[in-house]
Amino acid sequence: MSKPIFELVDQLPTDNMTVKSLRALDFVLPGEWQNTVGFVNTIRTVTGEEDEDLIQQIGDRAVILFNDKSQGYQRALWLYQTIDSAGSALGTAALANKVSQNISFLSFLGNITPKPEKAQTIDFSLKVITELLAFCQINGIPGDSIGDFVGSLAQYSGESLVRMAALVCFDGLVPLGANFLQNALQYIGGMTPSELEQNPAFKQIGDQIPGGSTAGKLGFIGESVSSVSGWMSNFVAGHNLTPQNVASNLSRFVDIADDKLDYLGAFLDMTTNYYEHTGVQTLARRLIERAVAEI
Amino acid sequence: MIFSRWRQILAPLLLSVLLLVTACGGGKEPSRFEGAQQQKTPAVVQESAKGGSFNKYFPKTSGDYSLTYTQEKKGAAIAKLKKGGKDVAELSITDTVNTPDARDKFKQSTQRIAGYPAATQGTTMTSILVADRFQVKVRSLDTSFSPIDREAWLQKFNLSGIASLK
Repeated sequence: MSKPIFELVDQLPTDNMTVKSLRALDFVLPGEWQNTVGFVNTIRTVTGEEDEDLIQQIGDRAVILFNDKSQGYQRALWLYQTIDSAGSALGTAALANKVSQNISFLSFLGNITPKPEKAQTIDFSLKVITELLAFCQINGIPGDSIGDFVGSLAQYSGESLVRMAALVCFDGLVPLGANFLQNALQYIGGMTPSELEQNPAFKQIGDQIPGGSTAGKLGFIGESVSSVSGWMSNFVAGHNLTPQNVASNLSRFVDIADDKLDYLGAFLDMTTNYYEHTGVQTLARRLIERAVAEI
Repeated sequence: MIFSRWRQILAPLLLSVLLLVTACGGGKEPSRFEGAQQQKTPAVVQESAKGGSFNKYFPKTSGDYSLTYTQEKKGAAIAKLKKGGKDVAELSITDTVNTPDARDKFKQSTQRIAGYPAATQGTTMTSILVADRFQVKVRSLDTSFSPIDREAWLQKFNLSGIASLK
């Protein structure tokens, strides 16, 4: 059983590396993400209601919904948490919680090993799948409905939209370059099932992926990435995103060397948990929306 | 002699200090949601209607308005109403067989909409109870969507269709 949902939301950090890096994406989505933290605060923000009795009823129902495993919310949380922890290679607590000074990136260079491009591509693809699977668990669409999920991306806003922006920027553009989508599809097309099976993130979440055998799952992954590539390409083009301007915006709080973008990708991987952070926020919002409908 | 006197008072003294320290911040206050956290009852019951069975009874939209389904879970279907692309309301149909307490507010209200018991909650919600079981609710997401608008949209649901689900 996970921590209580109210604790998870109460304990969301107001400022750390994850929060700084998401704020750095404000140039892409101005004002879209507010970093709402605190369970009662989230209820007030989502519902616009201030009456304490009502807030109590809504919170109570949200807690009961979350605790009922059959409703899928704990599975969604597990997906968001697992994909983030699978990516981190080194212990990062001290670094991740560094809130005050600019981080001298170069001093950590020795501790960072950029992942090979293929591994980075798999991780990017598995994050796409994680979003799809978590979306289905939270919102109730059948688990392999890629079409419904892709359609829903157009409705994404707030913390969900900023999670996708971070995926495109931090896990796509920065480590894999401007052609990250074409490269991802190419690598997946040429990948063998056993290569996929070696991947640490796949080892963790693989049995949640539809497709039966690993070959079948690889097919599902390819289809999913292909389906979101339209939305992602439009997102990149629509916001004029490049690896350089993403890095430049991050440089407000991390000193970055221009020619070290692949290290930057690994650095972000190690020090941020934006999927888990915004995933908890998305989960809380959806729980509260359902709870307020049901009371 | 003095030593044995000290021994007599030491244990109670230490106990008092311990109690004092504990009372002054050793323990965490339980959350206001701890009661719900301790409840072991499932959130949905076996006989609940499936959310998918509600979808076709939502209002039809035209012109500036559009409807986007956002959640479909056992006992609940939720959709966002947009006007000119902007979220203005949340529409939902839920099965109160999962939340019997939700029916209480209708007993306490004399309001009726489309012939069904109606109730308001807070400043943003109006709902009706169909066939003494299905709660149809409209929640304003924008200040432009008034209580009058909520009542109007409640009547646009296929209410007799919803009643037939019982």
